[in-house]
Amino acid sequence: MLFLQVLVFGIILGGVYAVMAYGLGLIYGVMRIVNLAHGAVLMLAAYGAFELHARWSLDPLMSAVLIVPAAYWAGILLFRHVVARVAAGPALEPGQTAAMPVMLLLFGIGLCARNLAYLVWTGDDRTIALSYGLSTIDIGIPVATTRVIVFAIALATTAGLFVVFRHTHFGRSVRAVARDPVAAELSGISVPRVSARAFGAGTALGAFGGVLLATLYVINPEFGGPFLLKSFCIIVLGGMESMPGILAGAMTLGVAETAAGVYGGAAWQDLVSFVLLVLILVARPGGLPSLVRR
Amino acid sequence: MSRRSHLAAVALACLASACGGARPDDEIRLGATLPLTGKEARAGLMFKNGYTLAVEELNAAGGVMVKAAGRKLPVRLEILDDKSDSTTAVQLAEHLVTVSGVHALLSTYETKLVLAQSVVPERQQIPYVTGGGAASEIFKRDFRWVFGLLSSVEAMAGTFADWLAAEQDGGRLPKPARIALAWENTAHGQDFRNGLEERVSRTPDRFTLVMNESFELNAKDFTPLMLKLKASDADVFLSDTHYPDFILQHKTYLQMGLHHAVVSYGPRGAERTARETLGAGVDHLVSGQWWTPELPYPESKAFVAKYVPKYGEIGGYYPGLAYESVKTMAAAIEAAGTLDREAIRGALESMDRTGAIIPGGRVYFPKKTGFQIDNPSVLVQNMPDGSLRIIYPPDATTGAAVVPIPARATTH
Repeated sequence: MLFLQVLVFGIILGGVYAVMAYGLGLIYGVMRIVNLAHGAVLMLAAYGAFELHARWSLDPLMSAVLIVPAAYWAGILLFRHVVARVAAGPALEPGQTAAMPVMLLLFGIGLCARNLAYLVWTGDDRTIALSYGLSTIDIGIPVATTRVIVFAIALATTAGLFVVFRHTHFGRSVRAVARDPVAAELSGISVPRVSARAFGAGTALGAFGGVLLATLYVINPEFGGPFLLKSFCIIVLGGMESMPGILAGAMTLGVAETAAGVYGGAAWQDLVSFVLLVLILVARPGGLPSLVRR
Repeated sequence: MSRRSHLAAVALACLASACGGARPDDEIRLGATLPLTGKEARAGLMFKNGYTLAVEELNAAGGVMVKAAGRKLPVRLEILDDKSDSTTAVQLAEHLVTVSGVHALLSTYETKLVLAQSVVPERQQIPYVTGGGAASEIFKRDFRWVFGLLSSVEAMAGTFADWLAAEQDGGRLPKPARIALAWENTAHGQDFRNGLEERVSRTPDRFTLVMNESFELNAKDFTPLMLKLKASDADVFLSDTHYPDFILQHKTYLQMGLHHAVVSYGPRGAERTARETLGAGVDHLVSGQWWTPELPYPESKAFVAKYVPKYGEIGGYYPGLAYESVKTMAAAIEAAGTLDREAIRGALESMDRTGAIIPGGRVYFPKKTGFQIDNPSVLVQNMPDGSLRIIYPPDATTGAAVVPIPARATTH
């Protein structure tokens, strides 16, 4: 019975982890950079959901309708006017790519956003009080309604992303750019345009994750930091660029952490993420999908 | 920095220090850094209000009597913003001593900042009173100049044990009581665990520890902890947490439909925002406080009556401890009769002052605890009408504790 509980709670936790990691995975998949501003995106979106709830009692699931498109356009603008400019700049050393300057730029943007949050919202902890915040759904064991909702959304998002990447022009363009930007350019795809839209989509996915996480956790300017680290572990586990891989990585991590907490101790939960990160980088740099492909 | 500019900086610092030391003693200069911006800004602002109110009160009465000056001297307080950063807190404290020439230091807020900053008074040999750091780590370094107004977290755990024993004697808790303990893996949490373990080992007829689990700060999932708690079949659940972890932990507790005769998250649980988030789920939680505006002592009530109209709602122990820090330093200066640092330090060491606003009403700094006060904490319980009831210590209670906690309706 305990093992079953570990499995159920672990998989549901994996759903929560997946929604926070999709945005990071998408941007890495297309641009080969770790978006170190991802934590800031999660944090700002969480504050957005908080403000909309505090001012107009808007449920976070509804506020996503406003926040996600806003994040998409903010991502595109950020890419076109800041990221692309740095990426196009002269490399520091012969042969050096623009990845490191861009990552440093995004790290700086993340720090600016965090300090801006301190100015606007101070360091106080904020929470969104939902009418269904404490309710549970009985599936043999009581599971928090909010977590079930987030889990269902994670599955739906994975399915949606799968459809978009397989069956839309935008998705095919993104995959082409991710695989070989030069060949994509030669075949008539505007790489800067697709990259900007992919960056926007990654930011929007991050914002969506932030809104959902705001229903579960306390919000403060440090909100995004731990999620960024965990998201990084998940995309490494998930093979860095595959959305189903990210879902599988998130669920593996969720189950591993829950099992470590129950059979080891609560203090072991976080350690498990980073041990898995090291193990997978050493043994299987391609992540979980590489195990399936063997 | 080049060798020449380094030498110039040292020379300037020495000059500034000399200037500071030569300033006339026609006033008492107190200095403090506080986290007025950054993540501890809310508490920092309340500390500032408490410090300011106490200084205004002293000056309204003509200042503090200094025998060597032959008259009362006004008090001037210089507060600098340490931005919730340990390094800045240390640098600014040095600045206050060497450039501003303060006669004594009051502390910043938050254990980590106080832990870092408290090396400055030791290095500069200047009296330092802290109402912002409780971890015993601060006081276990054989420091001579650091005096703590917050009882240790170990002592707070002891207060919980004393209260639980009183409830057992009243027949409201089984004997021995099965306690499940969870503690954050920080100096704060470790002190809480140490305090409780010590009591449990000393009184095995009263308490049995059936769960003893640590967790990481800012954890993102407490389901495993709650599954273990459920399996432990405990009577009492005690956890020592910071606020974000308290909210997530108790939310998970409620969602899993758990119930115990007593539930506490150490110093957390009485926050207004907790009730806004968790509603009736916070009813009957017990929390340990170093001071609360509900304390029925006349001195405490008088402070609240002055503070609230001027600064608004009191959220936490911060302004009370800040106010008491200034009063303690002023009392030490008056007892010393001089602004000589060693004399003020001696007055703090031998202090046994009554009429303070903190629990127990007494200020003293025992040498055996490294000059950290050893008063009981005040325990409060959340009532369903939103009020707080003081349930311990006996001289401050405002009502009887509700033990065992009534079972909740399920939240399905």
